[in-house]
Amino acid sequence: MASPFLTPGSHSQLNQLALLHLRRDQAIPTVLQLHDEDNAGYKEGKVTTTRFGSFPHTTLTGQPWGSQIIASKVDTGSRRGRGPQKKNRQLKRKADELTHDSAASTPAAEGTDSHSHSASPQAAVAAASGFLHLVYPTPELWTMSLPHRTQVVYTPDYSYILHRLRARPGSSIIEAGAGSGSFTHAAVRAVFNGYPTTPTSTNASADAAAAPPPPPPPSPSSPSTSSSSHRKRLGQVSSFEFHEQRVGKVRQELKEHGLEGLVHVTHRDVYQDGFLVGDAQTGTSPKANAVFLDLPAPWLALKHLVRHPASGAESPLDPTSPVYLCTFSPCLEQVQRTVSVLRQLSWLDISMVEVNNHRIDVKREKVGLEYEKVRGAVVFPKSVDEAVSKMRHVEENSRKYRELQQQLEDEDHNNNNSTTAATTTPVPASSGAAAAAAGPAKEEHAAPPSSNIPLYKQGRLVHRTEDNLKTHTSYLVFAVLPREWTAEDERKCRDKWPPHRVDQPMQTDKPKGRKQLKREQLQREEAEEQLQQKQQEEEVVGEKPADASEEA
Amino acid sequence: MHSYVRPNQFVAFKLPSDQTRIQKIVPNTQVFLGKYGTFPANQIIGRPFYLTFDIHETPGEPDSTHLRIVSAAELHAEHLIAEGEGDGDDQEPSDEASTMRTNRDTIDDRSTQKLTIEEIEALKKESTGAGKDIIAKLLESHSAIDQKTAFSLAKYKLRKERKYMKRFTIIPLDVSYLTNYMLQDKEAARTLEMRDEALGLLGCWGNVHHGGSTSFDMETVLSNPNGRYLVVDDTGGLVVAAMAERMGILYPHDGDFDDEQQDAHQNVPTTTGAQGEHDEEAQPTEGAPSRRNRRPQMSAQGNTITLLHANKQPNISLLKYFGYEADDPSDSHPLYTNFKTVSFMQLLDPNADSIYAQEPTEIPAEELSTYKSSKRSAYHRKRGRWMRVRRTVDEARAGGFDGLVIATLMDPSSVLKYTIPLLAGSAPVAIYSPNIEPLTEVMDLYSTARKTAFINRRRELVEQKATSDDSVDVKSELEEEFPLDPTLLLAPTLETSRVRVWQVLPGRSHPLMSSRGGADGFIFHGIKVVPTQEHIEAAGNPSRKKRKVARSDETPADSGEGVDVEMTV
Repeated sequence: MASPFLTPGSHSQLNQLALLHLRRDQAIPTVLQLHDEDNAGYKEGKVTTTRFGSFPHTTLTGQPWGSQIIASKVDTGSRRGRGPQKKNRQLKRKADELTHDSAASTPAAEGTDSHSHSASPQAAVAAASGFLHLVYPTPELWTMSLPHRTQVVYTPDYSYILHRLRARPGSSIIEAGAGSGSFTHAAVRAVFNGYPTTPTSTNASADAAAAPPPPPPPSPSSPSTSSSSHRKRLGQVSSFEFHEQRVGKVRQELKEHGLEGLVHVTHRDVYQDGFLVGDAQTGTSPKANAVFLDLPAPWLALKHLVRHPASGAESPLDPTSPVYLCTFSPCLEQVQRTVSVLRQLSWLDISMVEVNNHRIDVKREKVGLEYEKVRGAVVFPKSVDEAVSKMRHVEENSRKYRELQQQLEDEDHNNNNSTTAATTTPVPASSGAAAAAAGPAKEEHAAPPSSNIPLYKQGRLVHRTEDNLKTHTSYLVFAVLPREWTAEDERKCRDKWPPHRVDQPMQTDKPKGRKQLKREQLQREEAEEQLQQKQQEEEVVGEKPADASEEA
Repeated sequence: MHSYVRPNQFVAFKLPSDQTRIQKIVPNTQVFLGKYGTFPANQIIGRPFYLTFDIHETPGEPDSTHLRIVSAAELHAEHLIAEGEGDGDDQEPSDEASTMRTNRDTIDDRSTQKLTIEEIEALKKESTGAGKDIIAKLLESHSAIDQKTAFSLAKYKLRKERKYMKRFTIIPLDVSYLTNYMLQDKEAARTLEMRDEALGLLGCWGNVHHGGSTSFDMETVLSNPNGRYLVVDDTGGLVVAAMAERMGILYPHDGDFDDEQQDAHQNVPTTTGAQGEHDEEAQPTEGAPSRRNRRPQMSAQGNTITLLHANKQPNISLLKYFGYEADDPSDSHPLYTNFKTVSFMQLLDPNADSIYAQEPTEIPAEELSTYKSSKRSAYHRKRGRWMRVRRTVDEARAGGFDGLVIATLMDPSSVLKYTIPLLAGSAPVAIYSPNIEPLTEVMDLYSTARKTAFINRRRELVEQKATSDDSVDVKSELEEEFPLDPTLLLAPTLETSRVRVWQVLPGRSHPLMSSRGGADGFIFHGIKVVPTQEHIEAAGNPSRKKRKVARSDETPADSGEGVDVEMTV
């Protein structure tokens, strides 16, 4: 089976994993099926319910990847089987449904209700609101959405690790501590260069190993590479995990994801029993080019990762290539012990790094007096000029107000002084004038000067580190073990490449390119042709003078 | 896999000074490593990588140069000894304090070294032991050596070793090593200061991987060619190389793994997808016998990289380190068939390109046979080039790519405008930039507020079109206001990674005191999606629903987080 991780094709297919993308860090993985294995009792067959509505798998299957899918009206309340869900989930679903129904218009609703429960899934009816995007799984999206069993190796770490481990198509990787499987998926993608030629046999063995909940002691067949075509080596991942339940889960997942032929999961305590696939003593070697150890005590496993294990068993390493190693440990003490043992075991180029990754928020920061009633904006002078001009207005207004007050007082005074109380009319007029004077100034502020700029372009574009910051994941120790080089190898090499033979004592100018060589060849050919022509001509000409001389 | 030094391959030499030198190893020549020595190339051809060699020679004697492999134990000797001593470091603190040396009495000038420069130069001339004897002499004649603390002694020795040891390590030249070399030893600006960690992220977020062999797997044959990637690369080919490495088409010997030690039988191309296709182009090559039975350049169907370039010729000069000469590629290299180049002009306006637009007139075979060989091959070359350009450009314009990777000097939004529509649904987009500003602008172009405004505006225009008879060009109207369609990209994210290197020694572990500054390197990524053309109301969580009515004019200012109510279509 082709894996949607590696060769997704153009459309979603039945029985393949698909991701329902809800928001940036949230995607729901689901295997597309018409019928629900849990028999949750939906009339539409298998349905995945999300916070954005219900999605019968009939609406998800056969769609182009990346499609936006509209939610369907699904009767979640009166189901037959009720499924295995927990109580609170049901309550939540009911609540969802209530809000749903209130939001949904009901022109097409009758259609669903009239049908009785039938064996074939019913056609889904589009809901009035709610959607999501259907995307194919990638190791990155899977890492984001996978069920956590242990600490997960996240994208910033595994991307760097696989790059440094030189995990390339055709490589063989050992991974110890399968954990939640995030690294496993990324590693498969890195080494993938084709599916095994005999998928049936490997599938069968993987099935046999994966089927029962407590998997039997590992007995997978020999790695597919050994039997595959001679000319090309297929990439593979050999995964080891000592937690039995996790082994079962990982196997189940890999099977669902169509990766079972590419990953060999072994239930094993690698400190004790090493890294051979199959039997710990007599199993086949994965011939690894790269090793990733996500173990609490990686130094205890290193004794197995040598060219000639003390136990006399076959080495799990590729004898013809250098082996790259990475260990993943959160504590410095672990690193020190690991590095010390690496030095004793002749690993080279030992280095230790940590990866600091952070995501960056980009937003528009709106500061200014014009942003009144705008959500997320700060109403505050955006510049000294604005602050001063605002202050000026305030001052102006209060001055006017004081003047008015003064005027009123004066007038009162005058009125009191003068005996005639006839001229009371100017008072409201002048106060009105003052109000009018203050009014436009205020409006000037209230009306945003940038109102013709759309809201999404207003403010200043700023960026900052996201709120949730992972400041430390683990320390990464890298090392290389060169391939073995014996005196015998050296002797053979000396025979083939005479050690003191130097043809050109000094390096000549640039080696000639193919074009240059070709050009020279052509020139030579043309020169020859010309030469031949000349010779022919000369022959012709030569004969004449010869005759002439004879005549002479 | 790199397992031994092949003749005519570029390899890296790591020198005692921590500098790197890259050289092509040509059989029967000398290798020059500057002051660190000279030796015949034949002495390292066929030898495994990651070995460290000392150069030994007897002065004045010809052909006396020989290399000695330095064992790992020897390389680690000092650390191993130090660790051995460290085992007993559970001593009482008082004891330790009394024996601990400090730098209180050291003299901070050069008078302590009794050897003069002339003496050192003389030593260098007659030295035979790869520089070790010089260092021993230097240590001997240092008058205050016993006053040094263990740490400073180690540092002193290291410094001298870097200066005088005739030693080197052979390292396979791969993308990771080349990246570091360009960053530290060469002009970093040429590769946009690309770092290893950024390349790793770029590859992962771009989901760049081998497309799978199509020869024996029927299912993948049915589901179109897999693994077609689009790339815009202004790093001199480094990004292309990184992608090719991830796709298994970078190294000339990619594909043959076993029989490594035997002379490599010729490379097996990684994909067989194009077999039997393009017979039409195979035909004209019949005239030139040397070209027969060869797959034409840029002809592979799956597992390919298509490079979009701004100038007439792409700058992919760094690919030469991997055996791919840009102006004269060898046809046995996997990139020969699987790497395609298309200029932006060819993509946007193919008929403006003279090669694309002008088909060389076809000449019947009878007439052709009367031609001179040089003229005939010129005809075939022209014709082949036209067909190649035609095919690659049409293919690129048809789109359906599985991923887009960008590292460019141009404005990324201008690149996205023309490349996003060429992607298949769910294909990832990953952009690298040494500076953050170009990418924050891209983030802003995909902000939720802008998306909402775009959708509302489109609806308005569509309604306007429906009611009024005059033709409203929805697309051009929208494009005027929104250079990019913000609904085509899902989950736009901006991130940065930086690796910090540590020194790990017993009792002396700490991050390195200094490292290279410069660009941090930022990665933008998202997923291409296909929005439906129907109008959909978003369903959010109920608490936010109240605001639904007024939502269009009070769009959230925050761009990503907590926005359940992404309005779409």
